[in-house]
Amino acid sequence: MDESTLIARVRAGDSAAERALYDAHVDRVYRLAFRLAGDDALAQDFTQETFIRAFDRLGSFRGDAAFSTWLHTITTTVVLNGLRKVKRFRQREADIDDAHDIGVAQRHAEPDLKVRLKQAIDDLPEGYRTVFLMHDVEGYTHEEIGVALGVETGTSKAQLSRARAKLRVALSDFAGEWTA
Amino acid sequence: MMDQHEDPKFDQWLKDVAKSYHTPHPTPRDEIWNRIQGARRNRRVIELRPWLRWAVAAAAVLILGIGIGRWTAHQPVTTVAAADSTTSTQSDLVYQVAATQYLSHTEAFLTSFRADIGSRGSARSARFALQARDLLSTTRLMLDSPAGKDQRLRSLLEDLELVLVQISQLDPSQDGHDTDLIRQGMNQSNVLPKLRSAIPAGPVPVRTEGAL
Repeated sequence: MDESTLIARVRAGDSAAERALYDAHVDRVYRLAFRLAGDDALAQDFTQETFIRAFDRLGSFRGDAAFSTWLHTITTTVVLNGLRKVKRFRQREADIDDAHDIGVAQRHAEPDLKVRLKQAIDDLPEGYRTVFLMHDVEGYTHEEIGVALGVETGTSKAQLSRARAKLRVALSDFAGEWTA
Repeated sequence: MMDQHEDPKFDQWLKDVAKSYHTPHPTPRDEIWNRIQGARRNRRVIELRPWLRWAVAAAAVLILGIGIGRWTAHQPVTTVAAADSTTSTQSDLVYQVAATQYLSHTEAFLTSFRADIGSRGSARSARFALQARDLLSTTRLMLDSPAGKDQRLRSLLEDLELVLVQISQLDPSQDGHDTDLIRQGMNQSNVLPKLRSAIPAGPVPVRTEGAL
């Protein structure tokens, strides 16, 4: 069954079609949510919210773009808004925590690539980080990213380039690994 | 045109090593699907709960009351009736806004708590316990307010009360086991999806601006 037929059946209230549509897309939605959130509970929450919104709004999906593109627009909105909410909450906590709890002072002495890479990606501005993870890690095209984030394709390319440049500086201690 | 930062060797190396960043677990398809179905069922019922219908009706009465009040301003008896109605509905709307803000704040708190379980030290647990005590006071006030008369909302508030009591009693010195129990309790009672279903869509200012 092609996707437009499946969507029509979901709109008509077919619950089996709803599950089939979910099965076809849930892996990519959950993977993106997990990459951005880094936490299973949050990723599940965001995936759940994405599909609830998608099913609620399926009537407004006109089919101008692929369903997956439309769905990933909802995913990025849900995840980024959710993460901002959690970040604001944690920031209020960090503001009153002791300085040693924030724990950034020692990161340049950390020899482990995985830890340094995580810190470097976490430190990227939100837009750079999102584009980097979507493109370089999850394999989205700049066109898909542009639609999902509501930006021009050129903006997505520029943000990826700046993200890589920042990561290159942050990971310069490991230059031997990529020049070898 | 070659970007000044472009370095194909670095880009490829970065792509390879970045695969280890937040490596996703296998998708828990059935678990998420069941949660979606549960949340949608709850939402359908909660969206129609009498309290919300009453709040919408109150807003309509407020507008109608102001209109009638103005139209009949020269009639002393009607003006008094309209003024009483306006005062009553205004306080109801203030209550509605407060309830929405309380639910949003509690959702943010529990989301953050669940995400941070086991990842921080005792100072973190102590902070969560303190915040839970604050929210617990508000929850109990809500239970004694008109919201407590709505059976669905009361059930949600009681679930929240239980979770908040548990968090407020976290022992910072040995919270590993306790937090696991709280997390299990939250999952079993489905409290976060229920909470989200009870909150109107959109950020708090948007949710409440129509009422003010």
